[in-house]
Amino acid sequence: MAIDLKHLGRRYGPYRCEVGAERIADYAVAVGGGIPGRAFTDPGRPKAHPWHVDEAAGRASPYGSVIAPPMFAASFTIQPFAVACMDPEVGVDLVRMVHGEQEFVWHDVIRPGDVVETTGEITDLYARGALQFLVMRTESRRPDGRLVVEGIWTAVVRG
Amino acid sequence: MKTLSDFRVGDTFSHARSCDRHRPVYYAAGGGDFNPIHIDPEAGREAGLGGNVLQGLCTMAWAAEACAHYFGDPGRLRRLRVRFARPVRAEDTVTFEGRCVAVEGGTVRVQISARNQRGEEVLKGASAEAFFG
Repeated sequence: MAIDLKHLGRRYGPYRCEVGAERIADYAVAVGGGIPGRAFTDPGRPKAHPWHVDEAAGRASPYGSVIAPPMFAASFTIQPFAVACMDPEVGVDLVRMVHGEQEFVWHDVIRPGDVVETTGEITDLYARGALQFLVMRTESRRPDGRLVVEGIWTAVVRG
Repeated sequence: MKTLSDFRVGDTFSHARSCDRHRPVYYAAGGGDFNPIHIDPEAGREAGLGGNVLQGLCTMAWAAEACAHYFGDPGRLRRLRVRFARPVRAEDTVTFEGRCVAVEGGTVRVQISARNQRGEEVLKGASAEAFFG
């Protein structure tokens, strides 16, 4: 069933994320080939850039602290996208949905202790043959309004 | 640390990552994406994917790592864009090949290809930018 165009402009959030050092390390290690978490993880940890997982290395870096890998943003900016894809009003068939395209634009690094709030808006809905596309733009801002990261998310639903 | 003068159009870089059997579960734990098609082989089969598949965002994060190595600083990445062309599955190895296509103002632009061990593209049209102001 086609996604109704009336959902263009539908907004989700804000969703608040309080960034912690452990969450940053878990993301970096999971991507880097290690095992996230604190139990039954591999002794070889960390398998990530030291600026993401090692407090001393972060302090000695140009940033003066641990920083999140840029793609860490995916871990919290996904929230409005996932909520939209599961929104019964919108009616995306999750079983037939795949992630088609993704873009991030970063405006600032993220550090442990940061608070970021993410909102999402459905900015495009279109069909191409038997495929339907849902595009969401997310904005993640600090409590004072400064933009941290933008995301453009494209879901493809097979007909 | 690298500076703008360290980058030349035509520079190349490469990076490889393997998707072990549990990687989709580990990525779900770190990245928060527990869509059943990623962590449950049965759900992946029901979705017509032939089993569970790695989160595209993890493949994208590997592309970001490739760029971070080249740029010499993960905090310099300003933009990354990808199209997910084909799922990555357990036992796949993805090789990322990057090429610098522009150095303009303070911005370094690269294009990245990502292929599995059979040479099939898993990302299409991937491009990234870093800023060295």
